[in-house]
Amino acid sequence: MAEEKQLTHQESLELITQMLQNAKGHFHTSGTSAILWGSVVGFAGIMSFLQRMFNFSIGFDVWLVVLIAIVPQFVISARESRNRRVLTYEESWLNAVWMVYGFSVFALLIYLQVVPTISVKMFAAEGKTLLIRNNSTKEVTAYYPFTLSASSLYLILYSLPTLTTGIASRFKPMIIGGILCYVFFIISLFTPFVYDVLMNGLAGIFSWLIPGLILRRKCLKAKMANV
Amino acid sequence: MFKDLNPILHSQLRLAVVSLLIGVKEAEFTFIKKKTNATAGNLSVQIQKLKEAGYVEVIKQFKDNYPQTICKITEKGIAAFEDYVKALQQYLNVNK
Repeated sequence: MAEEKQLTHQESLELITQMLQNAKGHFHTSGTSAILWGSVVGFAGIMSFLQRMFNFSIGFDVWLVVLIAIVPQFVISARESRNRRVLTYEESWLNAVWMVYGFSVFALLIYLQVVPTISVKMFAAEGKTLLIRNNSTKEVTAYYPFTLSASSLYLILYSLPTLTTGIASRFKPMIIGGILCYVFFIISLFTPFVYDVLMNGLAGIFSWLIPGLILRRKCLKAKMANV
Repeated sequence: MFKDLNPILHSQLRLAVVSLLIGVKEAEFTFIKKKTNATAGNLSVQIQKLKEAGYVEVIKQFKDNYPQTICKITEKGIAAFEDYVKALQQYLNVNK
């Protein structure tokens, strides 16, 4: 491109339009993070469902794999940041949305772990105990409080960044995935806990794994085209 | 009364750089070079002029032991670009 070429007004406008289009069309991701989290949540949800449904145990809490997956996520994020040549506003906003989503999931996890124990202690400090009565045997036992259908809450959270990303980047598989999270959420309101975890697993597969695989295919195609 | 077109922006490569940067948060020198099809030397000179005008912020750092130059448009650059586009619209409306 020549440096000092004097432009006509029409040429200036065309150049601006062309450059804006160049920048706009640049947003792309390899889908690696989506594949990672989709596989992990999908596996944990389905395995958790199977364990409860068929009464067997794999010997550890399968949801721990979700925490372990944070390590490869750091590696993926660092690698993507190293290879990035441009950062669009869309990317930076969506990164912020996913980061806040991560904090929120972690906060909800802590809430669900801490509140029951703290509640029991607070009641105890006031000299009170929560009791539950079995109507058939009339037996009254101590009651440990817990949030009913807690998995449903995760489904609402899953939808937020997924649907936002889908709408902002006009990526239909993520829009469908985000909407499906709400569908699974509504179903989970009426099903026992064992099916709620299955809904979580399915949400992981439809919201992240499938869109991630589609993104990966697109990315590989684009790379092949550039070779 | 027509406003004069800003001479700093009314040059092919500088306008291309600013138009590119207006759409992104930040971009590496290599990315701008690729998108504008400019030579490294020419681009470097024009980015320096934009920097001196206060339209572009240039961050030089090292990444994986290689020098990396990141460019960002400034508030002043955005305002100048908006004024340039407005002035351009005036000219184009008259020529219709």
